[in-house]
Amino acid sequence: MSRAIRTTVLLVLGLIWLLPVYLLLINASKSPEGFTSKESWMPSDFALFSNFGEAVRLSGLAESAASTLLYAIVSPAIAVLVGAAAGFAIVALRLKRGFLWFVVIFGGTVFPLQMILLPLFDAYSRVSLFDTQLGMIIVYTAISIPFSAFVMRNFFTGIAHSVFEAAVLDGATTWRIFARVYLPMASSALVAIFILQATFIWNDLLLGLVLSQSDTVRPIVTSLAGMQSTYGGAQMSVVLAGGVLVSLPTVVLFLFTQKFFARGLALGQ
Amino acid sequence: MTSEKTSTARAPRDPYRWSARGFIAPGVLLVAVLLYLPLLWTTFLSFTDYNGLGDPEWIGFENYAEMLDDPQFIGSVLNTLLWVGGTLLVPVGIGLGVALLTWKLKGGVWLRLPFLIPYALSGIGVGVIWSFILGSNGALDQALAAFGVADTPRWLVDAPLNTVVMILATAWQGVGVNALLFTIGLQSIPKEPLEAAKLDGATGFRLFRSILWPMLRPLTAVVVGLSIVASLKTFDIVQGMTKGGPGRASETLALTMYKETFVNSDYGLGSAIAVFLTIVTLAAAILYLRQQLSSKNEG
Amino acid sequence: MRPRKIHLGVAVALAAALTLTACGSGGGDDDGAKTGTLDFYTNKAAWEPDFDELNAQSKTAVDIDLNTTGYSDAAQYDAFIRQSFRTDKSPGLFTWQTGPSLGELVDEGLIAETTDIWTKAVDEGWISPDLRDTYTFNDKQYCVPMNIAYWVMYYNKNIFEEQGISEPTTWAELDAAASKLKSAGVTPYYQTSTLFTFQWFQQLVAGTDPALYNGLATGDVKYTDPRIVEIMQTWADQEEAGWFSDAGSTVDPAVGLKQGDFAMINFGSFFNGSLDGAGMKSGEDYDMFVIPAVNPGLAKTPVAVESGPLCVAENSSQKTLGLSYSEWWMSPEAQTSWSAARGDVAFNPKATVADPMLKDLGTTIADGNYETFDRYYEATPTPILTVALEQFGAFIANPGDPLPFLETIQTEADAYWADQG
Repeated sequence: MSRAIRTTVLLVLGLIWLLPVYLLLINASKSPEGFTSKESWMPSDFALFSNFGEAVRLSGLAESAASTLLYAIVSPAIAVLVGAAAGFAIVALRLKRGFLWFVVIFGGTVFPLQMILLPLFDAYSRVSLFDTQLGMIIVYTAISIPFSAFVMRNFFTGIAHSVFEAAVLDGATTWRIFARVYLPMASSALVAIFILQATFIWNDLLLGLVLSQSDTVRPIVTSLAGMQSTYGGAQMSVVLAGGVLVSLPTVVLFLFTQKFFARGLALGQ
Repeated sequence: MTSEKTSTARAPRDPYRWSARGFIAPGVLLVAVLLYLPLLWTTFLSFTDYNGLGDPEWIGFENYAEMLDDPQFIGSVLNTLLWVGGTLLVPVGIGLGVALLTWKLKGGVWLRLPFLIPYALSGIGVGVIWSFILGSNGALDQALAAFGVADTPRWLVDAPLNTVVMILATAWQGVGVNALLFTIGLQSIPKEPLEAAKLDGATGFRLFRSILWPMLRPLTAVVVGLSIVASLKTFDIVQGMTKGGPGRASETLALTMYKETFVNSDYGLGSAIAVFLTIVTLAAAILYLRQQLSSKNEG
Repeated sequence: MRPRKIHLGVAVALAAALTLTACGSGGGDDDGAKTGTLDFYTNKAAWEPDFDELNAQSKTAVDIDLNTTGYSDAAQYDAFIRQSFRTDKSPGLFTWQTGPSLGELVDEGLIAETTDIWTKAVDEGWISPDLRDTYTFNDKQYCVPMNIAYWVMYYNKNIFEEQGISEPTTWAELDAAASKLKSAGVTPYYQTSTLFTFQWFQQLVAGTDPALYNGLATGDVKYTDPRIVEIMQTWADQEEAGWFSDAGSTVDPAVGLKQGDFAMINFGSFFNGSLDGAGMKSGEDYDMFVIPAVNPGLAKTPVAVESGPLCVAENSSQKTLGLSYSEWWMSPEAQTSWSAARGDVAFNPKATVADPMLKDLGTTIADGNYETFDRYYEATPTPILTVALEQFGAFIANPGDPLPFLETIQTEADAYWADQG
């Protein structure tokens, strides 16, 4: 397909895709007093920043921001490495019954999160991990590992085994091969996993709801969700503004990491 | 793949086996302790009668019988299957399309960005804005009215339309992720076979079928595998938009589980549904992955 | 070697899981403190700023302030509280629901008794004895009321003036008002097919015969009772006449009233806050009236009241602190501040209600021509409530013959009451 056609199709599709974002922004900017649902496509006021302020005031999310940042950086980073290590063990080191162990790790993502919440809460409170930042980091890391292991395992199958053998002949230890050869080759996959998991953790509501209480430990979306309620909760434009505010860091993250996906990679060549 | 050594002598020890175990141990450990242990407790509960207070009382398979007896159970299963089919068709299909269109295209990275932004948005904003769009006389109806379409269905009320519509809303966020993963897959295709095929004159669809699609398999397995798992677990968006209603028309298995556990405080029944769902998901995932990955391990 | 290792591993894990979760009695020893910071949990997370506002007052009065943790998901909150009784986080103060839901906790001995606090409050005239019944189990009281709200009819005053309609005082007048609005092209009533689907049913049944309504709550009256079917048929007829708003609309109810999507909305008196927030002016743009009884022959007009309790866990380490705060909570000073912060009616007749409209409501209801009944949401046992809400929602989405919907609810009710023995 010609370049012009492809670009046009993508532009049109992309614009359609951004329409709900447009709606989100203009409706988050409407002042609560003047808000109507009748003309949802037309912007009316620019109360975005005062709505931001109201959202922050109502939900107390200022304190959550720092800890959520901590979770969203540390947990995916660890999970990416642990997942890559697992993939490496299965594919390059040819771990015996590799598929079985892979299923064991992947199986961790198979059941609905709600089902493990209460036992986790009980266990956490017994070992004093409840309402601690460490506890949150541990659980966020654990839930990020299956996805990471899955992608990395599959990604590593695309690397010719001769690469591994050559490195062995060069006298490298397995750790060295992992860290100096395989990881750099997988940089785009690693970054993709990181940003996807970081976003997932940043946006977490449930785990934060059940495993934490103090404002300094609670993640940001859990704090924000408290605002939404039929029992005298915040007005819709304030809730939307809160949603926009909380989304800004992840959008910025996506914007700045795109360059990792611009070029191709040379794998085992 | 299997060892070529004869079976009469003892196969030599794999020199990397301890190293391999060391590499995989942290992953297995964290997942086992944090995710599997609680699941064991849930499985235990599925054989009991428990309301969160007092102590669980063993009742064997009664919960499972009750689950299968529920006339709406089939409805939940069908809705869940609809989600699986719809998720494979739409977010996966469009994601692949976007990845192919942006591949080796100047400015492709930026053309992919509008699809990624929705995933970066917080669930709160997304849930509210889609309800806003899909409500009667909401943004969608207003846009259609501007084009002269006056009589629109009640998007979130009439089943199974409401499930279809929610699948599309989920697709809005899912396409970007899939496109990204497919892109990584495309970028890791080795140069030689690709150049060779092009020299042979293969372009467009032929190129796709003979080279791209087969070599994309590892990442396709990831995308499809994850989509199957995620769609079977569908909860947040349905709970947010219709709560499984009206009646129980758009209820999925995860919603049924949630309702029994947290609303009715019937932890036993809720756990039974969760176990059922987990087994189905695991079976589907294993079947698919085994078929996809068994022919891998070339190297 | 490997398979055995796996079995061993699973066995160890299972044992660990069971030991971890099964053993332990939960709770802590009451530390006896009467002042300090009290850990408070609520599922009305949106009210957290209001509770915080009260701390200045409570600190001066009784030297207690609340450390509030709000949970945004009611069902998760429910599960969390149930679970927390087994941990050292057994709550010193928490909100719950009245009705069978509270009865469950009381039966397990999990709630601290508050009989003395109630006796004192009734003696001082701080609360009506009627409300005490809702909090009484086996002749003892548990918990104190956090709030009450009456379910009334809010209306868009501008629309009423335009159409020349005044507040109806009889059911016939209400029907006439609805017809008039409909012919003028205005939708009379609000409805939704998710969550609050019960209020019209509750109003129609209790307004016809309160004994019938109470019978449903105790299981003595079946949902398939011909009288109930007939009442719901009235509702079906009104739906057919197009008196209700579009069930597919997702517009916020306050915004909907403001922009005239409908003229009247049957809602709780906490709605004032939302309407004010949407930019409507109390008394000018919106007002409220108590819904007249369907049956003009009734001596007193029934009004639905919802009351949420503030409870103290029996095995909490902050039990004394929680009870001290509960005692202060009942006082007129505390209730005046609460009304000012939250903007709702107060249960304490001696408290000053900030909003004049709500103040009027409180005095009107107390004047003797009205009798309150528990809201359907609290009166109905949870499994039946879940099915009823779904069925009403389905009915609202596709109105028709009411009998199949009622039959489905009755099936669940039969199962529930049979279980209770």
